[in-house]
Amino acid sequence: MNKRYLYLLLLPGFLFLAAFMLIPIILTIVSTFMPDGSLTLEGYMTFFRDGYFNKILLTTLRVSVVTTLVCVVLGYPAAYYISRAGIRKKSILLALSIFPLLTSPVVRSFSWMIILGKKGLLNTFLMNIGLIQKPLEILYTPVAMMVGLVHLFLPLIIITLLGVMENLDYELVRAARSLGASSFTAFRKIIFPLTVPGLIIGSILVFVGSLTAYTTPALLGGKERVVATFLYQNAMTLNDWQAASVIAVIMIVITFVVVGLMNAWANRLNPKG
Amino acid sequence: MKKIWGTALALTLTAALTACGSSGSNSATTANGTNSGTAGDNGKSGAPKELVISTWGFSEDFFKEAVYAPFEKEHNVKIVVEIGNNAERLNKIRQGSSNVDVIYLSDYYAQQGINEGLIDTIDTAKVPNLQHVYDIAKAPLGEGYGPAYTIGRLGIAYNPALVKGEITSWKDLWTAFDRNLTLPAITATAGPMMVDAASVVAGNTDFNEDQAFAKLKEINPSVIKYYSQTSEYVNMFSQEEIAGGPIMEMYFKDLQAAVPDAKFVAPSEGAFAVMNTINVVKGTDNKELAEEFINWQLSKEVQEKSAKAKVDSPVNTEVVLNEEEAKGVTYGADVVGKLRKLDMKFVNDNIKAWTDRWNKEIGG
Repeated sequence: MNKRYLYLLLLPGFLFLAAFMLIPIILTIVSTFMPDGSLTLEGYMTFFRDGYFNKILLTTLRVSVVTTLVCVVLGYPAAYYISRAGIRKKSILLALSIFPLLTSPVVRSFSWMIILGKKGLLNTFLMNIGLIQKPLEILYTPVAMMVGLVHLFLPLIIITLLGVMENLDYELVRAARSLGASSFTAFRKIIFPLTVPGLIIGSILVFVGSLTAYTTPALLGGKERVVATFLYQNAMTLNDWQAASVIAVIMIVITFVVVGLMNAWANRLNPKG
Repeated sequence: MKKIWGTALALTLTAALTACGSSGSNSATTANGTNSGTAGDNGKSGAPKELVISTWGFSEDFFKEAVYAPFEKEHNVKIVVEIGNNAERLNKIRQGSSNVDVIYLSDYYAQQGINEGLIDTIDTAKVPNLQHVYDIAKAPLGEGYGPAYTIGRLGIAYNPALVKGEITSWKDLWTAFDRNLTLPAITATAGPMMVDAASVVAGNTDFNEDQAFAKLKEINPSVIKYYSQTSEYVNMFSQEEIAGGPIMEMYFKDLQAAVPDAKFVAPSEGAFAVMNTINVVKGTDNKELAEEFINWQLSKEVQEKSAKAKVDSPVNTEVVLNEEEAKGVTYGADVVGKLRKLDMKFVNDNIKAWTDRWNKEIGG
């Protein structure tokens, strides 16, 4: 059989994506540039001139970046540990780290409300041991948002890193050690560069997830708004689909820029990847 | 590195898709009953007609049993229910992809529907029960359009243990709370009412936008969260995250379940009328049946049952409730007579500007 026909196998999937994703996205993007038939950037200019929008965009980016960093810092050692564990232990640990993904974000957010609230577990504990006199205000702040998002996305980065780490050839480390490298040097020069692809994919997932998350910020965030909840306000309660589309396109562009930057960075760390 | 691009993109898209999937789950459309298919279209005599009703979906069991079932039986109709929040359901009708005959909407969204020509007028002669309804509820959105089938009121609920002194007026929101207040978000049903209340507190008889926003800015530090859904309010109240704030009387029983000492007051300047309307959608093939249904929803029988079940406050003046039954229900001509009513046309014309202003000046 001619190999060229094999491409036909892609067709159903491609048609599905084209009909239900590509075309709607392209239409959305086009509509933001031509609200009344003629080409204009006015929709975007209004947003970028708007101090309020810039403020929530910054809040969103800050929350996403911090969430990503925390996930990396927490997820990397955890994934490394799991990848080095014995088979039984590994499957248990893996199941445990995936477990949060199986509950809905709503349920998870509610449990954080119970933990972080004024009368919540954390404040009660800190007050009982005398560390604080007045309850800390954590719930309904960006901090609560980040806690919720880290909880939400940590499994993703662990899974992606694990996939890379499990395929590492640890003979390389032994070779390095036998040639006189300290274990830290071996990690820095061998393990870390080889895990960069997993780190990048994981970070992109977490970053984009945090950037577009709606439920968690809506439930745990207080007066601070993020782009996703702002989009919802425009689309669902103000019925301003034009503004909502502009926000959506801005989010898409940010996503691509971040993916691009991270790839450039990965190329520098691991040029042969 | 190309591989990473591909994988990252694929994963991102998967994540985006799953995210959509989970967030859309609350807008499920349910068909009430088994033969929701084409039973009504085959034209055979004896086969029930189909009436599609678009509603919120709260107290669904009550509506099925006390409202839909008797109507289905009497008129040989099959009622199909579409469920979602106001905005979702109105959008469905906007896009023309729905065959809804009767739609329940809050007055604010119903006004939007009317402005956009999506709502049909009704023949009041076919809805005789209208004569038993409070005047304010007969045609709140203009002559000929659907009635309010329930009037609730927005007052202030609070936890006496957590506020300074007693609350009697809208003014007290500014003084009795300390970083433990919740207010409705500007885009919530009660949002525009809060803007009006702020204008009143600033000392105006006629609405004054600038002074209202100045007042709202003043109260902002004391607000811990602007709520969009009553469930958020109830949750914060039972966790004692908040000491109180404006809320609809119908939800007070949920607050009391969590905090037995909780109080509800109608502020001295007047509580706000919160009206939910029932309307006929333009282009329906079942207009007469739809009008019959509206008439049924206004009947003493349905109104009394829903008041007693504490599902909806009655608008039918023939409904009589004893003290226990009236608890948590907005009931009585004297109570309804004192309510402040917002002009929904005015609110709809201004909501975009108010929301912008609220976002910028208050940042909620």
